[in-house]
This record gives sequence, C-alpha cells and structure tokens, in this order.
Amino acid sequence: MNKKTSTVAFSNLIGSIIFLAVGIWAYIKTLSFPTVRGSYVQPATFSQIMLIGMLFFSVILLIQSIWNLTHLKQDSPAAEKTASLNVLKDRGVQYALIAILLCVAYVMLFKTFGYVLVSFIVCLAIMILIGKRKWLQMILVSLLVPLCMWLLFYILLKVNIPMGPLTFLRDLVDAVL
Amino acid sequence: MDFNLLITSYASVFTNLEVILMTLIGALGGILLGAIPGMTATMGVALLVPFSFGMDLIPAVGLLLGIYCGGMYGGSISAILIHTPGTPSAAATLIDGYPMTQKGQAGLALSVAMFASFCGGVIGALIMTFASPVIARAAMRFNSGEMFMLAIFGLSVIIAISGKSVVKGLISGFFGMVLCTVGLDPTNGIARFINRSQVSLYEGFAFIPALIGMFAVAEVIAGVERIVRGEEKHLVSHEKIKRVLPDGGTIKKIWPNILSGAVIGTFVGAIPGAGGDIAVFVSYGANKSFSRHPELWGTGIPNGVASTESANNGCSGGAMIPLLALGVPGDAVTAVLLGAFIMKGIQPGPMMYVTELPTVYGVFAALMLANLAMLLIGCAGVRFFTKIVSVEKTILYPIILVVSLLGAFSINKNVFDIGVCVGFGVFGWLMNKYEFPLSPILLTLILGPMCEQNYVRFMNLNHGDFTQIFHSPIAMAFLSLAVLSILYSVWNQNKINKAEAARKAAEREAAQA
Repeated sequence: MNKKTSTVAFSNLIGSIIFLAVGIWAYIKTLSFPTVRGSYVQPATFSQIMLIGMLFFSVILLIQSIWNLTHLKQDSPAAEKTASLNVLKDRGVQYALIAILLCVAYVMLFKTFGYVLVSFIVCLAIMILIGKRKWLQMILVSLLVPLCMWLLFYILLKVNIPMGPLTFLRDLVDAVL
Repeated sequence: MDFNLLITSYASVFTNLEVILMTLIGALGGILLGAIPGMTATMGVALLVPFSFGMDLIPAVGLLLGIYCGGMYGGSISAILIHTPGTPSAAATLIDGYPMTQKGQAGLALSVAMFASFCGGVIGALIMTFASPVIARAAMRFNSGEMFMLAIFGLSVIIAISGKSVVKGLISGFFGMVLCTVGLDPTNGIARFINRSQVSLYEGFAFIPALIGMFAVAEVIAGVERIVRGEEKHLVSHEKIKRVLPDGGTIKKIWPNILSGAVIGTFVGAIPGAGGDIAVFVSYGANKSFSRHPELWGTGIPNGVASTESANNGCSGGAMIPLLALGVPGDAVTAVLLGAFIMKGIQPGPMMYVTELPTVYGVFAALMLANLAMLLIGCAGVRFFTKIVSVEKTILYPIILVVSLLGAFSINKNVFDIGVCVGFGVFGWLMNKYEFPLSPILLTLILGPMCEQNYVRFMNLNHGDFTQIFHSPIAMAFLSLAVLSILYSVWNQNKINKAEAARKAAEREAAQA
C-alpha cells in the first residue's frame, strides 16, 4: 500500500485545508466591504453566500479525507497514489516550476523586449528544458512561429503588439504594404 | 419563424467569402487539434478565440464553430488509427474503429467517420434551427426570478462535469463564483477584493485570458512535467489511406445508425452538462441493442463508427439550443462560445431572437457551413491528418505557449492579461494535479454574473423577500430540473465510480494470477 502521505486521501486533506484557509480569509475580507443604504442586497452578500458554500463543502472534504485516512483500505480510490508536488525529489515538478518561472519572465519582459524576441527566447528555453536537441529545427520553430503570429495579428487582425528592439519590422511591413 | 429572413441569412453567409474562409480555417484548426491526443475542442476554441478579435460576429462565429465541428471529427482520426481518442467525444469510436484498422480497413473507417460526422452535424443543425426559436419564445416571459433559477439550473451542470468527486466539483464551482465577485460590484460600484488603484481588475478577471490559462498554459506546464518524467508517449501511425468517402453500399448499410445517432446526439447535447462524451455511448448502446447482429459490434464494423461519430457531431447542434435560446451553455465548448458572443457585445438568450434575429439565423447558417467546411477539409486533407497524430510534443507545447500568451494579450492589448493567463495557468496545473475539476470554474465564470445580477434585481424588486420566488411556477420548474439534474448526476457518478472500482479490482486479480 502507498504511504499515507502520498495517497489521494492525504492530498484531499491538504486541498480542503487550503480552500478552508482561503475561504475564511476571503469571508473576513468581505466584512470590510462598505454597505449601501436602501439596497436589499449588500455588495458583500453574494460573495458571502458563495463563500459559505465553499467553506461547507471544504469541511465535508476535510471530514471525508480524515475518515478515509483513518480507515484506509488498499483497494479504495482514496488509497490511490496521488500526484507529487515534492520540489526536492521530483524532477518533473522541478522542471514544471522552471517552466512557470519562464512564463513569469515572459510577462515581465514582454513590454521591454517585445513579443517576437521574448517568445523566441522562451520557446527555445522550453525546448531545451524538455530535452530537444535538434538545434536547426528548434531555432527555426522558435523564430518563425512568433514572427508569423505577429504578422497575422498585425496585418490581418490589426492588433498592435509590442515589438521592443524589433520595432523596425513594423515600419518595414508598413513600407512594404 | 421568418423563412424569408432565414433564407436571406443562409444566402448571405454562404456567399460571404470572409465567413467561408474563416470557417474553413476553423475546421482545419479543429481537425488538427482534435487529431492530437490530449488536445480537446475546448482548448482549440480557447486558443483560437483571440483570432476572432477584430472580425465581424458571423465570420468569428464561423471560425469558432468550424473548430468545434472539426474538433469533434478530428478526435476520431487518432481513435481509429492509434487506439487513442483525440478528444473525449471520440472515446466510443475506437471500440469499432481500431479493430477496423487492425483488419486493414483504416481508410473505410475514416471515410465512414467523416461521412457520419457530416450527416450528424447537418441533422443537429437542422433540429437546432427549428427547435431553438420555440424554446426562446417560451423564455421571453422570464423575469429576474426565473432568470436567476435558470442560471441555477445551468450551474447544476457542475455536478455532471465534476469527474470523480462531486464534493471537489462543488468546491471548484463555489470558488469560481467567488472569483466572479472580484472587481466592482455591478449594482453599486463598490470595490470587492481589490483596491481602487487596481484599475485592471475593476471588471474582474478577464474571461478569455483566464480560460486560455486554465486550458492551454496549464496543459503546457503539465506536458513539460510528463515529458521530463518520460510519461509522454510518442504515438506513430503508418496507415495508408486509399478512399476518402464511403461507397453507396456502405452508406446503405450505415444510414439508420447515422440517423439515430444524430437524433440521440442532438437531444443529449441539448441537455446542459451532457456533452458529446455521454452522447456517443448512449448512441452506441442504443444502436447495438436494436441491431440484428449485436454480437458483431466491437469486432470492427462501420455501423459502430457511424453511430458514434454522427452522435458527437449531432451534439454540436444540440448544445447550441440552450446556448442561443436560454443563454445557458450546454458544455465547456459552448461556454467558451458564450464568452466569445459576450466579447462581441451580444448576449445570447431569448431576447436575442427579438433584437438580433438576423444574427441568430446567421449563426444557424454558420453551423451548417461549419459542417460543410469540415467535410471539404476532411476529404482534402485526410491523408495529411493521419500524420498529425504523430506530431512531437516537444515542438507542440512551446508553440501552444507562445500562441496562447499572445492570444491573452490581444483581447484587451494589456500585459496584465498575460499575467492573469499565467496565474490561471499555474492555478489550473495545481488543480489538475490534485484532481479538482476546472470545468466548473469555467462554467461559473460565465454564469456567475448572470446569477448575481438577477438575484440582486429580484431581491430589490421584491423588497428583500426571497420566498416570493416560490410563487413562480417557471422558477420552480427550473429549480426542480436543477434538483433532478443533481440527483441524476450524483447517481450516475456513483455508478461510474463503482464500475471503475470493479474494473480495477479485476485488473489486479488478473495481474496477480
């Protein structure tokens, strides 16, 4: 049988605690919303109803998980192995976190470096991250896909996308068209 | 029904080059994405919604419906060739489709799938054309209380799309409803969960970037994880395709299955929450039961493929009925379509049949055109699509990432939206990892505002007395339907869980033996 901490029941327990914590924090936050005189429904009312629902079902999941953990049977779905989130031991999680960091970097550099350049870097970095090593194919795909997408959005859909140091490409396309 | 306007709308759609081109592009994109295992029609529509930005409504709808119909058919290609359904709606196609490939009849299976998909889609579109105005006319009498209960009925679908755990689905649903309340209160303009300085969040989280994040970015992050762990299989097909459409003899054999599959698919699709994945099994089961030779089903016969493929494409017309007539999406894809309509400034629902009748008829025509586009693209490219199932994920995931992040930006031309997209991507990855379903959040992001606005309006009109809603027979009918839907879904889920447990126990015993 799987270790208790790596079962679905345990991950449900953690999940229910997280949703309970978020729900309680959000409910306390709604108490500070201003009230409106003469309105039968206050700005906080709908949020509070939904939060009570979320808290109620989080408590049910918490009770279910504790019950499942204390009465764990080998063949029950609650005893199945759950997905890992161990950053120290699991290479998959480590690489997923690097991919997330690349996405965050993408957001931060988007305006400065522009879409084509930042997409080229992130696209290439992710291919390297997941072990692709056909360099010509990687460079061509990383360069051509963002370039074609930019052209499509700029020419056909008339969406102006930040281009950073490559802004001259926009002038070039304008001159050609 | 105004038949003159209907014919004029059909003529204007079928002669508009922009609509034809966009629908063909949509069908191509849908088939390509549908053929790749793991890429769903929801993800395809989410990825390509930003491309509809800047277009007129009907070409944009043509593009999205093209993806929808193309995705439904595309899923069958990998199901038939490599025993892996490209989309959940093609899950039943492999029962007879793959044995046909093993018998050397891959070409026949693909041609039957395409022909049945086309016929199913056309029948579904016809039923939609004549059924949705009737429902919309009845819905015209709804007031805020009834609209509130209609939204509740739409939200009851959450249970059906919750997957293994109903409790987890409900937590996701309520969390999604809370997310809807972030921003300015629609009635009084009070800031909720934000500061007055957070201008980008005044209208809450932008729907399309959130959607792209949860369904595309989350998939890329999970894909990176799977590739690194070596869990991502590289599937390859070497089948050679000789014919693109079935011959007369085969059509004669399969037409009853196509007809019944299309009707079943349309009606199942019209029930909110019951999508193509349910319709195909209902249709397969019904057709097998009424067959003269049920023992042949599952051994690789064209009738099996025809019954499932006509059902999943019939579903696309069925799912459009509640979307257009009531403003309630029937499944995840129509929820995205609803978001696209709202983005274009049009609110689907009964009033659409009064204020936007030419648009409604244009949508009917666009769905018909989308099915035709799927047939044309399918016939022209079937040999190429058989190769797409072998595409390398190491190339595909980075492309999906840069395309989806650009899509998130292009909606409001706001870098903040890319941040929202990445944020929802990480959130979606974590939720998927711990099996908290994402579809309820998608549904609540769409139906939440409708639910809140009608609740507030009803309460203010009735001086805060909620019990007044019990005096409305229509509202009570919706409440009863919601309760029935919840009870049926819970019962159905229990049945599925029990069957799954029995299957696993049998597998374990077999392994031990």
